[in-house]
Amino acid sequence: MMNDMEKEIIASHPPAEVKILRDGPIMIKGVFTFKDSSGKISKGEQELYICRCGGSANKPWCDETHKKIGVAN
Amino acid sequence: MDKTDKKYTNGEITVFWQPHKCIHATTCYRELIEVFNPRKSPWVNMDGAPTEEIIRVVKLCPTEALSVSYNKAMEADMDADRSSESPESIAEARVMEDGPLVIRGNFILYDTDGKELRHLKMSSLCRCGASNDLPYCDGTHRKIGYIGK
Repeated sequence: MMNDMEKEIIASHPPAEVKILRDGPIMIKGVFTFKDSSGKISKGEQELYICRCGGSANKPWCDETHKKIGVAN
Repeated sequence: MDKTDKKYTNGEITVFWQPHKCIHATTCYRELIEVFNPRKSPWVNMDGAPTEEIIRVVKLCPTEALSVSYNKAMEADMDADRSSESPESIAEARVMEDGPLVIRGNFILYDTDGKELRHLKMSSLCRCGASNDLPYCDGTHRKIGYIGK
């Protein structure tokens, strides 16, 4: 069950936007919960860029390696 | 329907298991031991992987022993969730180790042209870059040995 604060957050925010950027990362923007592979959580308003080329040296984050390796997706 | 037939659901899809049709090709558990584990009881754990991944592996079954269908009541359930309980939950994006990015809850998915993509309760997005079904995960990360926090 959600508490009142969470309900309020949902009511006052539009859905999170998940955008597949051409030849680049996944952008997630808005109010959402993010869990990394170790289970670490960040909540609230945020804008994150997740590597989609598999080549980042700083996963899960995009580090622009896609530009070097020239992915097309 | 045989007496030994079983079904398993995650609320979104139902996997049907007809043991008398199984030829023990072992495809399902070699592909997705998190869901299909013959050493466990029940041997199918529907929470072990995202829906798309379960569907993918069920389709690899060389016989009709494993089959899958979307729950018909799903959309009605989703509408009921919205109107009664609460608004949709805050979106959750979760990074699967060596696997995809799984997103659920209240989110809108846009493709590279900015066009909205229809999605189920959950979307599983490729992180390894090698999927044949981009932007979605198709399990290729296992074949290429993708490693990614």
